[in-house]
Amino acid sequence: MRLLSLPSPGLLAKTLLFVLLFGCLGQVMAVKVALDPDNWGHPEGENCVSCHEKASPGLAQQWHDSAHKVAGVNCMDCHQAEQSDADAIEHEGQIIATIVSPKDCGRCHEQEFKEQAGSVHAEAYAIIEDRIPALAQNMTGSAMQAAGCDQCHGSLVKVRGDGTLDPATWPNSGIGRINPDGSKGSCSSCHGRHAFSKAQAREPSACVRCHSGPDSPDKEVFEASKHGMLYAAQREQMNLHADTWVAGQDYTAAPTCTTCHMGAAGKIPTTHDVGLRNAWNLNQPVSYQQYLVLFEDGSKLELPATEKAPKRGTELEKADGTMAKVKAVITPDRRRKVISLVCLECHGKGFTEAFMTQFDNVVELYNSKFGEPAEAIMAVLYERGLLTPLPFDEPLEFTYWELWHDEGARARHGASMMSANHAWWEGMYLVGRNFYSRFIPQARAVAGDQAAEIIDPVLASTGQHEWLGEPQQANPILGWMPPPAPDVDADAAAAGNEEVSQ
Amino acid sequence: MIKLEAPHFITRHVLFALVAGGIGGVVFMFFLLEFDHYTSSNEFCTTCHSMTYADDSYQASPHYNSPSGVRASCGDCHVSEGIIMATYDHAIGTKDLIKQLFGPDYDDPVVNLLHLPEAAFAARDWFRARDSATCKRCHTLEAIQGVRANTAAIHQEETGGKTCVDCHYNLVHRHVPSEQTFKRESWNAMVEGEFGLEPGAAVRLLSSE
Repeated sequence: MRLLSLPSPGLLAKTLLFVLLFGCLGQVMAVKVALDPDNWGHPEGENCVSCHEKASPGLAQQWHDSAHKVAGVNCMDCHQAEQSDADAIEHEGQIIATIVSPKDCGRCHEQEFKEQAGSVHAEAYAIIEDRIPALAQNMTGSAMQAAGCDQCHGSLVKVRGDGTLDPATWPNSGIGRINPDGSKGSCSSCHGRHAFSKAQAREPSACVRCHSGPDSPDKEVFEASKHGMLYAAQREQMNLHADTWVAGQDYTAAPTCTTCHMGAAGKIPTTHDVGLRNAWNLNQPVSYQQYLVLFEDGSKLELPATEKAPKRGTELEKADGTMAKVKAVITPDRRRKVISLVCLECHGKGFTEAFMTQFDNVVELYNSKFGEPAEAIMAVLYERGLLTPLPFDEPLEFTYWELWHDEGARARHGASMMSANHAWWEGMYLVGRNFYSRFIPQARAVAGDQAAEIIDPVLASTGQHEWLGEPQQANPILGWMPPPAPDVDADAAAAGNEEVSQ
Repeated sequence: MIKLEAPHFITRHVLFALVAGGIGGVVFMFFLLEFDHYTSSNEFCTTCHSMTYADDSYQASPHYNSPSGVRASCGDCHVSEGIIMATYDHAIGTKDLIKQLFGPDYDDPVVNLLHLPEAAFAARDWFRARDSATCKRCHTLEAIQGVRANTAAIHQEETGGKTCVDCHYNLVHRHVPSEQTFKRESWNAMVEGEFGLEPGAAVRLLSSE
């Protein structure tokens, strides 16, 4: 069996990827923490609890109810800091930090820390950092960065010179938060503090704070899907509090977000790299399938599969601009296979593959009919100076943005997770309406007398907009049909009859 | 009839000296009382321009503006109670006057802010060494109720071995980190940012003193 599609598939890389993607079931259940219990149970922790039971009884009670408490992990075990830490403060005689970063959690939860590092979640701030000024500063105001963008993507937490955390960047539990210790991410984004309940993180609601709304309506898509329907009806059978939570083994009632994107299923181990199983990028003007490049320093990078896969051992520029050596490349096919293995816990192979074909067809339709032409037209308008380089100072830019970022993303997400409503009415229907009734007319207006030269060839090249050239083709959908063409023989016969009857 | 006779060494001169000394002593005591009182007042403290920066943050704090109308003056917190200790504190405090006159230009807001952390650390040490005595002029641990139900319980049950200032610092004046976690470079960068100075300006200012 061919397990990998590596450009130079060495045995070592094969083994590595095998372990990464298909680690044995034992691994699924066993790995909890890497640190020896001698390292926790800080003696000062009791004092924290005693006072915080009164000062902030809510969070103290959450901790009392937590598995951390049962294991003897107290406040100081997570919040202790070194004097030299940028955000260290003195509190009741102890040196602590308010922010518990993934690096701090990773002292014990080493595997989860490594998995989430470099994931699309951990990079969520870095990915949009250069786009923030356009929307959050120019179009609205910087107040919106803290209240909007950063809430999900994470903030670049700033420790002020007086040791306090800048309120423009804190509080924040966005998933790509850049922490004062340099680590990226926020475990508490999904794992509500201070209970850190397994069941809570397995619920779809753990994802809803960010994966909802017009541009990534995953909450709405899930709820409207058969998966969501079954989850809502059979939630009591989800075994959410179980120690291990392997789909097909510990629960079968329904999948949640976690199940498919992170969860253990059959021989697939759980992962905290939530984008690992995504073959497509669905949140771009044009979707592309993507490689996952693993670097030797533990970081990761997603690359369009339209380009040649980088070779193992080559130096590549990472998202943050630094260089690193490629350790392995996971192809889109491989990623698709992994997520399909989750499906197989409940569905047949043919069913699964056919569903994926339906999904891929929607993405390809969106790309070829709307995404690619719109992108190409915009590029020419910018190149010829018909649009200014400044985003959102021209109505067409909003139209284009919503075409792919909102409506186009909804259509693709809807198809990926089986909400007919989001794939169609909230998605591709709006893409089509926008494209034909707003985008193309506005683009023609912007292009002026160059419209025919710029726009028509792009539309023609897709071979999918020819229906516009047949305006006489009728259809009853709008309630009107042209009167039937007069039947000459029948008329003549009728006239004859009239004559006879007279 | 008992006749009181002054001892022979009580001459007129001695008597005069005693009376004058007594009156002088009383006058001096009154002077000290008035002196300590005056030199503990906000008006006196802020005659130095450098102290107006501390005054700004103080005026924004509940120690200046409390709903009950109780207002703590500079001296209420920073000068000990009783004529002996108050005088002692003022005598020691003259070193600040000397520094004001002959030291760095504390009137300059940049210089002032650059030196604020050391001043804060010294003040905290001062409170700690006196077991927060001046806090206790107004605040009685047993009587603290607070606005939340548990505030009283915290002060009854969680304060063993602690003095007020151990928990309550950065109350009135501008926020300064604890001495343990203070980072000079970060503080300097903050000052430079606040006053629009180029990086490194703070170090140059401090080293030129």
